[in-house]
Amino acid sequence: MKPAHSLLTITLAFTITAVIWSCGTKEAPAPEDENELITTVRLTFTEDGTTTPQKFEWKDLDGDGGNAPTTSRITLKASRSYKVDVEFLDESKTPTDNITDEVREEGDEHLVVLTPTPSSLFTYTASDKDSRNFPIGLSGTVATGSINQGLLRLQLRHQPPVNGQSVKNGTVAPGSDDVNITFDVVVAP
Amino acid sequence: MKNSQRVVRLFIILFFIGLLDFNTVYAQNTANCDCFVKGVVKDRETNLPIVGAVLTIKNTSKVTTTDTDGHYKFDRLCQGSYVLECKIIGYKTTRTTIALQHSAEENLNLSEDEVHLQDVEIVARRVTSLTQPSGSLQNQSLEQTRGQTLAEALQKIVGVTMLQTGASIAKPVIHGLHSNRILIINNGIRQEGQQWGSEHAPEIDPFIAKRLTVVKGAAGVRYGSDAIGGVILVEPAELPYTIGSIRGELNTVGFTNGRTGVVSGTFEGGLKKWKGFGWRLQGTLKNGGNIRTPDYFLANTGVREQNFSAAAGYRSVKFGAEVFYSQFHTNLGIFSGSHIGSTSDLLSVIQNGEPFIKADFNRAIERPNQLVDHDLLKIKAYRQFSGNRLSLTLGRQHNQRAEYDLHGPQAALKPALLFRITTLTGDMVLEHKPIAKEITGQIGFSGLHQYNFTDGRPLIPDFEQSNAGAFVIERWIRQKWEWEAGLRYDMRWLQVYRFIGQTLDQRNHQFNSWSGTVGSVFNANSHLSVRANFGTGWRPPSVNELYSKGVHHGAAAYEEGSESLRPETAYNLMGNVEYTSERFSAEIGLYHNSIQNFIYLKPQSEPILTIRGAFPYFKYVQTNATFSGADVTTEWNITPRWEHTAKISYLRAYDQAANDYLVAIPANRIENGLRYKIGTVIHSHDSFVSIGHLWVDQQKRVPPNSDFMPPPSAYHLWSIQVGGDIILTEKQKITWGIMGQNLFDTAYRDYLNRFRYYSIEQGRNFSLRLKWIF
Repeated sequence: MKPAHSLLTITLAFTITAVIWSCGTKEAPAPEDENELITTVRLTFTEDGTTTPQKFEWKDLDGDGGNAPTTSRITLKASRSYKVDVEFLDESKTPTDNITDEVREEGDEHLVVLTPTPSSLFTYTASDKDSRNFPIGLSGTVATGSINQGLLRLQLRHQPPVNGQSVKNGTVAPGSDDVNITFDVVVAP
Repeated sequence: MKNSQRVVRLFIILFFIGLLDFNTVYAQNTANCDCFVKGVVKDRETNLPIVGAVLTIKNTSKVTTTDTDGHYKFDRLCQGSYVLECKIIGYKTTRTTIALQHSAEENLNLSEDEVHLQDVEIVARRVTSLTQPSGSLQNQSLEQTRGQTLAEALQKIVGVTMLQTGASIAKPVIHGLHSNRILIINNGIRQEGQQWGSEHAPEIDPFIAKRLTVVKGAAGVRYGSDAIGGVILVEPAELPYTIGSIRGELNTVGFTNGRTGVVSGTFEGGLKKWKGFGWRLQGTLKNGGNIRTPDYFLANTGVREQNFSAAAGYRSVKFGAEVFYSQFHTNLGIFSGSHIGSTSDLLSVIQNGEPFIKADFNRAIERPNQLVDHDLLKIKAYRQFSGNRLSLTLGRQHNQRAEYDLHGPQAALKPALLFRITTLTGDMVLEHKPIAKEITGQIGFSGLHQYNFTDGRPLIPDFEQSNAGAFVIERWIRQKWEWEAGLRYDMRWLQVYRFIGQTLDQRNHQFNSWSGTVGSVFNANSHLSVRANFGTGWRPPSVNELYSKGVHHGAAAYEEGSESLRPETAYNLMGNVEYTSERFSAEIGLYHNSIQNFIYLKPQSEPILTIRGAFPYFKYVQTNATFSGADVTTEWNITPRWEHTAKISYLRAYDQAANDYLVAIPANRIENGLRYKIGTVIHSHDSFVSIGHLWVDQQKRVPPNSDFMPPPSAYHLWSIQVGGDIILTEKQKITWGIMGQNLFDTAYRDYLNRFRYYSIEQGRNFSLRLKWIF
């Protein structure tokens, strides 16, 4: 083979191979699908002896970043007792995805913690229990103190087993935050 | 703890006393001046003999050249140690140390010829760059890193450090630059995975390599403009084109820490009937469990790795072709204690001083973990015609990376993030015949097409990318001077497919620019050479820098890309002085890399409020940065048996626009090694024992308040190694080695470990290496 010929042959072979090589079937881009998004945390307070629920929400419909989240201010009456329910929703999906049930089902590795500041604002007592008799904290009762104002930190702690051993012990320490948000609270007369 | 340190020290002292005794016995050999050295000089790539190579025995008057078959011979040499130098245009000068030394007892059964004969095969490589500093690991130095990851192994080269994400993930850092700013060339193909992520380790089985080379500084012209920090070459051995039988090697390595076991085997051979045909099969298995620090185990830090590769090729004088396929599969556990949901989680771990999660030894890999697969198919062919050589290389890679988070409330079996990237590359290089017998060079074209899909949590969008480049490099060698110059032009097209809500939004970017290199070597005499190189390179912003948006878990940071970023341009000036004599050699390299429009994450004043609380907010912005430093290596043969080596690397990185230091820059370090060559003990030849000490300074050059905790303090690490070769038969050999790392179980943290907030580093680790060559 003459050099010129061989050069041509190689270049041709190269081009053909390159064309075949790159003609793979390619899929179309698909939107992202975050399977762990929580956009909304809803607190429902029902004063003992009444049937009218008061709903307070923390919302970040577009997820992390973008538009800032919105929070409603929690207004409660002093020295009363309330039944409280906590809900976690993904409102970016249609229909809205309610994550609360899954938290309850996996109660052995989740804990909802409500921390008021100052601590005299109210006390929270969880009424639900997991299979090992530790609180889950999705429902409970709040007993408010005297007239005051402050903050409520709500955490959803994810406390999955480590090396097959449960770590949930009813305290906030193990695991990590799935939710960590703050509400303004006013305890009025 | 203290007692055990004392015992270890005592052992070391006793060991050395024992060695000194050996030394006196062995020194009683009589000199013999009838030795000779002969051999053949071949091109490493083509396996063809090199005619006219000049060979000199340093510090003697002996000079010879290779004949038409590449053969050479030196005779009438006395017993002793010599440095054989081989030089020819277009190839890097090689220096081989040969020991013409035998003990009298051993020689008795051998014929007279073989007693003092040493056959040396010099394998010359066409050089990447004559003028740019580089370092490489091969033979014994590579041997000693077997079982370690690519990044751990490369740390032995001065100027190279690593960026870790816990005990299981490490990436190489060259002169302070990493990820997208360095290129890894795996068997001639540029490695394309998700390099941008600092927790994405290179998907390469180091057992494939016969040689690991790091070209330091902007080496864009030959390998691609984006190599602004350097290039790592992972080079397998030549296929066995000339042997007719089957041969191979089996490597086993066991580590006490993590109780990690590694087995790697290679079989290769040629065909008697088909001359010039060669094949190779290679595979590696790795299994490790939880890593132990001096104080506690790190939960979920196990690793499982299964890799294999197959290659076959044909080679004749004028034509050659090769097919290579490799598969890399790893399952990496990520330290459970590093999982945080919010900034307050991170702050409480730091305050606690040790992880909340404690574990025992365990091999199970749970979430969070990474499942990474990398496939590479390569076809290469070349043809020689009238002194020119044309080669074509095609590569197809598929990289799949599944990252499993410690799942949230919605238990799903799907990974939180799944990246699938396919890359097609094509390179055509013409090496022309010497012009006026003095100028050699190459002209090349390279193309790349790649597409990426990201599923799961929003992080980076889907994209498609194409690259086209052309380059020319010419070299001129005249007497004491060697010159080199190169030029390259690249174009890149990037199409990004994002979803804003449910609507597809396509963005197009186009980047193009020149890069160049010019350099020179002055070989003042046989001892001293001076080299200087100026190189430029440019790197278009990558997709994560343009479009990433979200919380970086583990880093407790909200990171946001910027669509308006422009390419970075590096101007890299390097100077190197190399001194070699029989007993002492030293290399001093200085560099100054100035990067215009350097892309980095800048902290913003306001945090981002998310469902997991407030996160510090970082945006990708550009500045002008400089990386200046020095690499120093010395080797001193104190006596024929004692050898001292030292490595110093110094780096200072500065943000010129902000007038402040840059974050995440490796701290300065000094490494010392003392080695004693025992020679033959019982049946082990070339035996040695060495101790090593590494000092890493505290990184004091950081911007104020840039981190959740101050950079960790300086630390000292000691190591010990013993090893040798046991010759079984003419063709069979066992190479053994025992190594102890972090000998005194020092508790320390490293600034370039992203998990430094969560835990201290690995504790003491002993390993046993056995390699059986058959």
